[in-house]
Amino acid sequence: MRFGLRQLTALMSIVFGLAAHGQGMAKGPGELAWAIRYDPTTFDPAKVDEQVSEELRFLTGGVLIRLNRRTQQPEPELAANWKVSPDGRTISFHLREGLRFSDGSALTSRDVAWSLRRVLDPATAAPVADELLAPREVKVEAPDALTVKMLLPRRVIGIENVFDEIAIEPAERPSEGKVTSGPFTVADYKRGQYVSLRRNPNYWRHDAAGVKLPYLTGIRLDVLNNREKEVSLFQRGEYDLIDSLPPDYFGLLQKKNPSAALDLGASLNTEEMWFNQAPNAPLPDYERAWFQNKAFRIAVSQAVHRADLARIAYGGHATPAYGSVSPANRAWHNDSLRVPHEDVAAAAQLLAKAGFRRNGSSLVDAGGHAVKFSIVTNAGNAARMKIATLIQQDLAAIGMQVTVVTLDFPALIDRLMHKQDYEACLLGLTNVEPDPNTQMNMWLSSSPNHQWNPSEKTPATPWEAQIDKLMQEQATTPLQRDRKLAFDQVQQIVADQQPFIYLVHPNTLYALSPKLAGVQPSVFRSGLIWNIVNVRRQGQK
Amino acid sequence: MRRRIALWVLALMIVAACVIVMLPGASYYAQDREAIMSGANSHHWAGTDALGRDRGVRVAAAILLGLGGAAVAAAITTAIAAGVGALAAFSAPAVASILMLASDLFLSLPWLFLLMMVRSFLPLTTSPLHSAVVTFTILAALGWPACARAVYRGTLHLRSSEWMIQGRASGLRNTQLVRRHMLPHLLPLLIPQFLICVPAFIVAEANLGTLGLGIAEPLPSWGAMLLELDNSASLATSHWIYLPVVVLVLVLLLLESLTVEV
Repeated sequence: MRFGLRQLTALMSIVFGLAAHGQGMAKGPGELAWAIRYDPTTFDPAKVDEQVSEELRFLTGGVLIRLNRRTQQPEPELAANWKVSPDGRTISFHLREGLRFSDGSALTSRDVAWSLRRVLDPATAAPVADELLAPREVKVEAPDALTVKMLLPRRVIGIENVFDEIAIEPAERPSEGKVTSGPFTVADYKRGQYVSLRRNPNYWRHDAAGVKLPYLTGIRLDVLNNREKEVSLFQRGEYDLIDSLPPDYFGLLQKKNPSAALDLGASLNTEEMWFNQAPNAPLPDYERAWFQNKAFRIAVSQAVHRADLARIAYGGHATPAYGSVSPANRAWHNDSLRVPHEDVAAAAQLLAKAGFRRNGSSLVDAGGHAVKFSIVTNAGNAARMKIATLIQQDLAAIGMQVTVVTLDFPALIDRLMHKQDYEACLLGLTNVEPDPNTQMNMWLSSSPNHQWNPSEKTPATPWEAQIDKLMQEQATTPLQRDRKLAFDQVQQIVADQQPFIYLVHPNTLYALSPKLAGVQPSVFRSGLIWNIVNVRRQGQK
Repeated sequence: MRRRIALWVLALMIVAACVIVMLPGASYYAQDREAIMSGANSHHWAGTDALGRDRGVRVAAAILLGLGGAAVAAAITTAIAAGVGALAAFSAPAVASILMLASDLFLSLPWLFLLMMVRSFLPLTTSPLHSAVVTFTILAALGWPACARAVYRGTLHLRSSEWMIQGRASGLRNTQLVRRHMLPHLLPLLIPQFLICVPAFIVAEANLGTLGLGIAEPLPSWGAMLLELDNSASLATSHWIYLPVVVLVLVLLLLESLTVEV
């Protein structure tokens, strides 16, 4: 038979968790090791467009300004100081004296200007350039060896944060991480196996006692997309940390070594579901009418038991979510948000008021159509699958019949972005930065990422028009207080209208070897390694 | 003897599964949210899964669904194979070559990829029961070629036997020959093919389930239940977590025993 042996082998490999990787090599003293899930798509710091490459840029790239992941405040790095002009259109950097690249050559304003211009050049296609709003019109000048000026056509709110993502490379000699101004350099890379980083002997920082930083001699990043094996190698001491630890493993790790498992509470990320409200979606009119009905969406939101989702799907390592901004994002969370709370009876009443009625155990609309729909989500995410199945039962309580469909990611994206052929979708949103500017593409009604109704020519509803206006307002208002007021209103409109039904904020879970000193975990991206230069093994000199 | 024991044990398992599924209060989908991943207790004799669903009832339902679906799919596949094999044997050599080429083509299809494509083209509102029907239908549609080759060879052999020549000499038409003489003689070939297909389809469905492409939730499928074992964290919770794999291995072992002794 065709199916016999091959399938049985596959089955056995699932049952016994066999893995075919050869990771976990011995590491030297003063060297750290951890796993990256896939090969970096690029070593060029200007072309970073995914998480692993970003992590590499973080470890190797020297930047003018570094964002402190604890305080969320920009701190001087290669730039000793900087100044933004009152009109927000000029930013001047004054470099530290005596800076050197890892190969010993001097780092001057010429290198900085070259690196900035390279990022701005459309030929580079640097994703970070978009954050400067009109990169083609930005000018860079280097009036002397230690000064660099950037002239912008208009004010960019939070401009300092952009420089946290631009690595300074030697002018005319881009080296893909081999010659850097950051704490480490790329020493070796074997595709599918590992990336090896070596300490930059010319890195500019010293500790209070005058010892050159970083303390570590090197870092090995193993390419390993197998959580089971990653956790097992961590427990054996081969790996020193795990960022984004799955909740299942958190309990296991905590039981064996309580000090190694860290739960920092709610992350910035959200898990949410939404209904397809696009007018051109291939859905029957009555279904579209349900999804465009605010009462329907609120009733669904009220019927979902979020505490159960957090407890069951995440083993308690998630925080029920009612709004778009995580409470971990203290700077932007609207503390006085009014949200529809869980109340199944109120949900049933709301539906009755909106013309729905019960026909036996199922809910029917005014036209007699039974309320049945599917929730699509991506295959392979155990927590999300559990959430979908829990919601299936929660909504059965108000008579809605839900089917849960898992699709592989390309098929899911095709349905969401191109065909709009789905009814409801359950996905998560990873928020890298707390600033609402990074969410512009999600909230603006004209954006293709405005998931419930993408690429609207004009806002389909008055409340979407209002969100557009407020988002533009917060992006252009210089005063932080006014920005916050505008974004608070956006959060309230979203809570009132429930275009996204927020479910949980997964907690930030890390595993960290107790043998490390100097780590300052943060819920923000690069949360374990953001101060890597100060990290050392206990006992290491 | 071994076959008889296997048959009895299998029958007993099916009866027990029916009883468990039909017990008052038994539900394969009801979530007891206060008893997540619990061990055996007075409410759930085999504990609960990660969503608080009764593991015993789910395993019993999976036995019935898996065996039932695989048996129907195996019957369809065997029938297709018998039809194609016999047609090829009784046709002109050119037609026979084309039919065998078609079955070779089927054998060389990347069936997993095909299944993934078919699954993603299904309407999203396909109910769990329909998803089960579709899964087993696809398995049946893809499982026949190897069997068809065996039937073809067997039929060719039978076709040149003396009693067939005599039948043809007596003026029997091809359809009559097939019905009266060929099929009864082919049964010893078809029954083992059927019995081989059943466990193979159960394993195939389990594999699809682990990829999230098989039977939809909340219907219990072996694949989805085996996925619980993919994670050492949940292995530590209760020994009952091994129940699905133990029962699956037992069912497969019994089915294989039936095959060997025919």
